[in-house]
Amino acid sequence: MLYRICHITEYLYNAPVSHCYNLAHIIPRTSHRQKCISSDITLEPAAAFKSMRDDYFGNRAYHFEIQRSHKKLVLTATSKVETRKQFYDDKLEASVTCAEAWQLLQYTHDAELLMAREFLLDSPMIKIQPELRAYAEPLFTPNKPLLQAVMDLTQKIFTEFEYSPASTTIATPLDVVLNSKKGVCQDFAHLQIACLRALGIPAKYISGYIETLPPPGQEKLVGTDASHAWVSAFCPGQGWVEFDPTNNSIAAEQHILTAWGRDYFDVTPLKGVIFGGGENPILNVSVDVARV
Amino acid sequence: MVEFTYAPRPGVQDEAFDAQGTAKVHWQYLLESLQALGAKGLADRQIKAQRILRDDGATYNIYSEQNAPNHDWKLDLTPSLITSQSWGAIEAGLLERSELFNLFLKDIYGPRHLIRTGVIPPEALFLHRGFLRPCQGISVPGEHQLLLHSVDLIRSHTGELQVLTDRTQSPSGAGYALENRTVMSRVLPSLFRDSHVHRLAQFFQKLRTKLTGLCTTQDQPRIVVLTPGTHNEAYFEHAYLANYLGFHLVQSGDLVVRNGHVWMKSLDGLSRVDVILRRVDDSFCDPVELRGDSQLGVPNLLEVVRNGRVVIANPLGSGVLENPIFIKFLPVISEALLGRKLRLPSVPSYWLGDDHDYNKVIHSFDDWVVKPIYRGDSQNSVLVRELSQKARELFVAKVKAKPELYVAQPPICAMHLPSYIDGTLVPRPSILRTFNVASGTSYTAMPGGLTRIGTAENTFAISNQAGAYSKDTWVIASEPERVNTALLGESPTPMREAELISLPSRVVENLFWMGRYAERAEALLRLLRTVFVLLNGEEPVSEVCRRQLLLCITETTSMLPGFKDAKDSLLNDPGEELIAAVADGQRMGSVRSNLNALLYCADESKELLSSDTLRVTNDIRDALHALDDDLAGGLAAAPEEALDPLVTALIALSGLAQESMLRGVGWRFMQIGRRLERTVQTAAIIENLLVVEVSEHDQSTLIQALLLTLENLISYRRRYRARMGVQSSLDLVMLDTSNPRSLMFQLDELNKHLARLPKIPETRHELALEERAALEAKTLIKLTLLKDLSTRENGHRKILKKQLKQLTALMGDVSAYVSNKYFDHKASSQQLVSHGVGE
Repeated sequence: MLYRICHITEYLYNAPVSHCYNLAHIIPRTSHRQKCISSDITLEPAAAFKSMRDDYFGNRAYHFEIQRSHKKLVLTATSKVETRKQFYDDKLEASVTCAEAWQLLQYTHDAELLMAREFLLDSPMIKIQPELRAYAEPLFTPNKPLLQAVMDLTQKIFTEFEYSPASTTIATPLDVVLNSKKGVCQDFAHLQIACLRALGIPAKYISGYIETLPPPGQEKLVGTDASHAWVSAFCPGQGWVEFDPTNNSIAAEQHILTAWGRDYFDVTPLKGVIFGGGENPILNVSVDVARV
Repeated sequence: MVEFTYAPRPGVQDEAFDAQGTAKVHWQYLLESLQALGAKGLADRQIKAQRILRDDGATYNIYSEQNAPNHDWKLDLTPSLITSQSWGAIEAGLLERSELFNLFLKDIYGPRHLIRTGVIPPEALFLHRGFLRPCQGISVPGEHQLLLHSVDLIRSHTGELQVLTDRTQSPSGAGYALENRTVMSRVLPSLFRDSHVHRLAQFFQKLRTKLTGLCTTQDQPRIVVLTPGTHNEAYFEHAYLANYLGFHLVQSGDLVVRNGHVWMKSLDGLSRVDVILRRVDDSFCDPVELRGDSQLGVPNLLEVVRNGRVVIANPLGSGVLENPIFIKFLPVISEALLGRKLRLPSVPSYWLGDDHDYNKVIHSFDDWVVKPIYRGDSQNSVLVRELSQKARELFVAKVKAKPELYVAQPPICAMHLPSYIDGTLVPRPSILRTFNVASGTSYTAMPGGLTRIGTAENTFAISNQAGAYSKDTWVIASEPERVNTALLGESPTPMREAELISLPSRVVENLFWMGRYAERAEALLRLLRTVFVLLNGEEPVSEVCRRQLLLCITETTSMLPGFKDAKDSLLNDPGEELIAAVADGQRMGSVRSNLNALLYCADESKELLSSDTLRVTNDIRDALHALDDDLAGGLAAAPEEALDPLVTALIALSGLAQESMLRGVGWRFMQIGRRLERTVQTAAIIENLLVVEVSEHDQSTLIQALLLTLENLISYRRRYRARMGVQSSLDLVMLDTSNPRSLMFQLDELNKHLARLPKIPETRHELALEERAALEAKTLIKLTLLKDLSTRENGHRKILKKQLKQLTALMGDVSAYVSNKYFDHKASSQQLVSHGVGE
């Protein structure tokens, strides 16, 4: 599927920002099921200096520096992306069993497996806790195919948690989410990653977009598509497979990925240091995903 | 006569003596010399050494002591001796280790073959917080990725030399080693000369060459030493090295990233920086990509590094090599990268994240030294059996929860070294920190290094934080070392002309304020001295005079309410408030608070101050310490005498600035600060003592006080005999340009200095704002008529008061214009997104 994505980030400050230094993960990366065909970034006010590179995880990282005083920052990223569905989406039961996966991850000296182990460890925003292990453990019986177990966990989170944008912020810790059973896509992704890591399954955080379809008979509104987050679990033999706990699904063609990392910290869409700006800036984000 | 009795301890090997208690050959000369010097001689040298260290400003801050003054660096006069021959073997091992660590670092931030091929388990790298993912792919020009490498060596009681730890973040200590050497060669010159000690200079030469060579686009790159600031434990060393190597000492606020380069904010604008010798831990260096909460970094620095437009030594990310888990895997890493075993062994290290190691250690937990794998966690190595019952329980629980974050090593009883402590020679365990710098195709090791000794005979933890003594380390040859004349003759690269004014503007600002605080404190001290003398004088002072004098102190210190609208009871018993004006550091405006501010400014601009200047600031520090005792007697006990040492020190300070400071931009700003402040203080004193109309007798007393305070009494008497006239005294303190304490003199000087500050060339001839204000001030005083000034109206000399007020306001303008134009006003920064975590 071919998409055109327009992602507008707007910051409104209470006091002038004299200059700022920013890092954005906002241009979709390339992966085995996705290709970014073209992309463009505009900034208002204009950047005094900018550069683009691939980061540690292979994501597109965009640096910019604004040296002009401003009270409003608008970053508009447009890109054209071609996506495919995942290869394993209907063969979950064909994967190795949980027990086999654990065995392979521990003892095989295969480069891909060794490198995947980076995603077993604590990361800046995800600390493995016994409660998380306890929450997911019953689903991961030794003889169950691993990908089936991961899908079961995806479903469990989808069923038991309420999608509630007002209930959490970026900094809400996982145990709060686990107890309140509320959150947004990013919380569910972090939660599922933590469960998987606690059980010895490498897991990544993926940020991106999802195409939403209008109710039948209605026209789609511009800007209603959202930035989204889901997870990727590592299965020996199959590699990395993406699951979406917010939508109870395997990530498919309409999941357009921007960047991956250990958690949100690694792939924050826009971060940086500003000089001035006052307190409590207003952030407006609008995303539009259109089929081309 | 046997001066020293020294007995090696049974069961512990001694560096200087064999098992039979006989001094080893290479120690004999030293031990005989010390005997010949005798206890008295050695004690004298020790005092001299401590004095030199102090005069050089050698300090080491200890973090756990809040608000503690800097600790003087501790040097034990008995050096550690190593023969050339055994040093050769050690050196070869050290160089080989650096080569290995260099290849290892390249692999870690490059292909990570060692992980991919299973040589080391992935967790050993990936869980270490020193592994900075944003540093992937950064490459330093030249053959080396690792530029500086230090190793702590310990000789166990079996006599085997082992590596205890590696330091790759920003190895410290080389500057202290150099300072130790400087002191030793001055205190024990003949012993030092006759011992044929290998010299240290070459190491620093190589360091400079390497750093210079890191910039591939400039022949004379601008190199800066980046320090976290004056509160850092090793700030002395940062300033000392910057000075020795001829680099600028900067703090993060002095640097800024613009248009893809790093710049130093200096008086003449932004100067490009090519190489940074970093003393800030890597994770703090860039709040955009590394720790977002860091105030010690430069936003976007990493991206400039990545694009090759600045080089940092050691490169960002190098701290990961300090991970002690790697020590366990070093033999296999060495096989994989060098194809052989390392010559120099490490202290056996067990990683508690490894099941086998964990089981080995956990059952005999008390017998181990356990250290966290990441050093930044304000958590030190512990010898478990030394923990209290409760601390032990907490610690065990912590380790069991995350064993993979700990490494265990057996405690090492280090070999003993004879050490001169408290007047006797005693055995102390020691460790040696060595220093390697990348050079040519390999590394160069500093011959010897920095030896530190434990505080007691059986301490296992030896660190400066624990209060350890240091020693100079002598690698001794049987014959004098041939001095490489080519090296010695090499003159330091001349500074570019622009370099001379390219001081960081922070430093200049501190010099300006140093000048102001020095004058303010001096004026205040002189005034207080006058008041003490008059109040205690044999001639009683009238109520009116007393009130006026005390009020003058309140007005000049701005310590309100003080004597303003004071009751008679306070005026009759002013002792406590007067003593507070001197010694209460908590109250702004007191002598002590001004001097503390002065000392702070001196620290901030340390690298520009001569060693004599540092000695004088030490005198001020000493006098401040003594102040409370000296003033304990209160007003009755001649308190003016307690102020004399401070006045003398301040005069010395101003004399030194005049006589031995280069007439650079820094000096000029200090002078501007001084002239400006002296104008303000003098105006305030004149105003408070001469504006109010009083009886002739009282007037005479107040004029006397004025002249005494401004040190003009003698000149006045010589000129005018006994009569104390208002007009003639105003002439002397305001208009007389031959009087270096008159207002006119200050204003002349101020105008001269302002005119010579660096300026952006302009085609127009308008005066700059600060020059206009200074000229206006000068004209104001110059056009004054003494008759007008002394005119009285309703009990006040109104014109005098008005003119002085106007003068003070103009000085305020000059100060504001100068600081707006020349000093940097760092805006406060914040993170756009806070994740609520520290990476």
